[in-house]
Amino acid sequence: MVGELTWPRRLLGLWVPLAALFVFALFPFAWMAATSLKANAELYDPAANPMWIRHPSLVHYIDLFKETNFVVWIGNTMLVALVSTLISLLLGVMLAYPLARMRFPAAGLLAISVAVAYLVPQTLLFVPMADLINRMKLGDSLSAVMLTYPTLLVPFCAWLLIGYFKTVPRELEEAALIDGASRWRAMTRVILPLCTPGFLSAGIFAFTLAQNEFLYALLFLNTSTIRTVPVGVTGELIRGDAFYWGQLMAAALLGSLPVVLIYSFFVKYYVAGLTAGSVKG
Amino acid sequence: MARSDCFRGSTSRRDFLKLSVAGAAGATVGADWRLRKASAKPAQITFLRESSYVKEFDDYFKNVLIPRYQQDTGIKLVYEIVAAGGSAVPRLVSIVESKAPVDAGWVQQEWLYREALLDVSDIAEEVGKQQGGWYPEIKSLSVWGGKWKSVPFGNIGQTMVYRRDWFDAAGIHTFPDTWEEFLEAGTKLKKAGHPYGMSMGHGFADNNSWLLPLLWGFGGQVVAKDGKTITLDSAETARAVDYVRKLYKDACIDDCVGWLDPANNKAFLTSQISCTNNAMSILISAKRDLPDMGKVIDHALNPKGPKGRFHSLVPVTHGIFNHTPDPEAAKHFLRWLMDPKQVAAWYRSAFMYHAPFLHAYDRDPEWDKEPRFKPDQRVLETGKLVSWPAPADRKAGEVVNKWIVIDMFAKACTGVPTKAAIADAATGLKQIYG
Repeated sequence: MVGELTWPRRLLGLWVPLAALFVFALFPFAWMAATSLKANAELYDPAANPMWIRHPSLVHYIDLFKETNFVVWIGNTMLVALVSTLISLLLGVMLAYPLARMRFPAAGLLAISVAVAYLVPQTLLFVPMADLINRMKLGDSLSAVMLTYPTLLVPFCAWLLIGYFKTVPRELEEAALIDGASRWRAMTRVILPLCTPGFLSAGIFAFTLAQNEFLYALLFLNTSTIRTVPVGVTGELIRGDAFYWGQLMAAALLGSLPVVLIYSFFVKYYVAGLTAGSVKG
Repeated sequence: MARSDCFRGSTSRRDFLKLSVAGAAGATVGADWRLRKASAKPAQITFLRESSYVKEFDDYFKNVLIPRYQQDTGIKLVYEIVAAGGSAVPRLVSIVESKAPVDAGWVQQEWLYREALLDVSDIAEEVGKQQGGWYPEIKSLSVWGGKWKSVPFGNIGQTMVYRRDWFDAAGIHTFPDTWEEFLEAGTKLKKAGHPYGMSMGHGFADNNSWLLPLLWGFGGQVVAKDGKTITLDSAETARAVDYVRKLYKDACIDDCVGWLDPANNKAFLTSQISCTNNAMSILISAKRDLPDMGKVIDHALNPKGPKGRFHSLVPVTHGIFNHTPDPEAAKHFLRWLMDPKQVAAWYRSAFMYHAPFLHAYDRDPEWDKEPRFKPDQRVLETGKLVSWPAPADRKAGEVVNKWIVIDMFAKACTGVPTKAAIADAATGLKQIYG
């Protein structure tokens, strides 16, 4: 059969690179897990192998759950990421669809301005954004970040979805219009269902960005019980120059699990969404 | 129709009377509201601080001071904690710029926003009189334009932290008193496999805390007392740079040239280094997690140079933001906090790691509980602000935040000739001071 590999070639061409990639991808998680399962005395032992656990201990996990509001932070993070992702997807579709499918003056300029908006760094925006949040009396509430994260996520979602919408043949939509469907009906019944992989990939990426965001969360979420994981963990487990390494690693490992699960369930759609438009169909 | 015509045409005498009555009633209600607002207690006071590396310090505030304040005044007290090492200053700046609902806090880098701080001279003067007077150097930070813009709290002592057992094994039984002796000891220790780890990276305290005192000890200064004249490029600075290059080469671990503040803690606790300049955090962590090591760690003052012994202060001061809706309530809180009934126990809750700038605590019995912390108190005798001898203003802050002096030493250690390293730093200073 054409393309079939002999076993040495298969070993060198497939399994060895795959194993290397596997180690590369999982090494940070293994390091986090190993660090989180060692008591401090073992953690600071220079003779100990960093990846080998002599006396496994759950002390850091117990401390994390008992001494911090970690469970609350996880709940807050998921809620904020979910709401801001939904808002961003909705607005992203409303922005991307006309830019990809309709002809109107300055459409190109608008599309470029979307990309430029995505490139504006948060460090330039945080002071006026803080002013806005305080005027709206939203400071120290989850609404503050639910409403500010879309400023980062909408341009990203829109840019990704513009590319995806362009891959759907225009003829499908035109056929629907000829059959008497309105523009709205053609969009909701014909185009959008075909773009599910695009929504998933934009959604997953937006969710991850929202989950990891630090600066706005630092500025707008002040009380411990309304913080998200990145700010809660750094605020309470980095004390001066003393880092609580075990608890930090336990928190990082547990905090990354939701995204790992989401990626593992939707990876097929995610890849399809990202690569759409990268080749001529 | 013109606007005035419109009003003239549509407003009858009856309407005018109605409006007048409504206006008067509104004004009465408004005045009443203002009166009530002025006399009412605020719902809460929010106090912001960086998280403490001694957890007991934050716990004491949360578990003892908050309930006590609420019991004493009926006002809710919120204690907001931000992470150290970069999170606090952006948070403080955004509070000032957006007038966020925070009333008071540890005003780190107050030179950036002194105009947004309330005059707290009455509190500072009263606290000083009541508790033995202030150490003079801290006034250079807190007093600006003749007014106290913050109430000093304490200094986080930065001293030499070293392994007494390894020093003893190398035949060094007392900590080196001069920088030359320090180099000599370090050379011996490095040969024995126990190098120093002196931070020179873009950290926030552990770099300045030995490099600036060393520069001053050799007679060098960054900017003169007038806050205008750049004085860095001198023979004294050149000698200090040459010394640090030699110290790095002969006595230090290689990667300390790029260390941030947590790096020396980690290296010390993993037995990679025999000495560093740090706060109490290493000894506190060791006593908690590595009891054997905790027994052989000691603290010492910085060595002295030809011009004397110096330390760099890491001052903690509390200020009140002038956008607070109820300045009197915020001042009452700060006065209450600095009352010996509160503040003395708060200092003691955390091994006095905030060495009070008040002389009343110079001989506090708490210092005797762990004699190894005593040098942290003595730092106040020779401690200077990082801007010294120049005023602690925005420009001096920029020098620190751009690591201009630190980079001068680090560049020399990585091979840049002394003259070129100093010239680079002087160029950076000219961009700031003009």
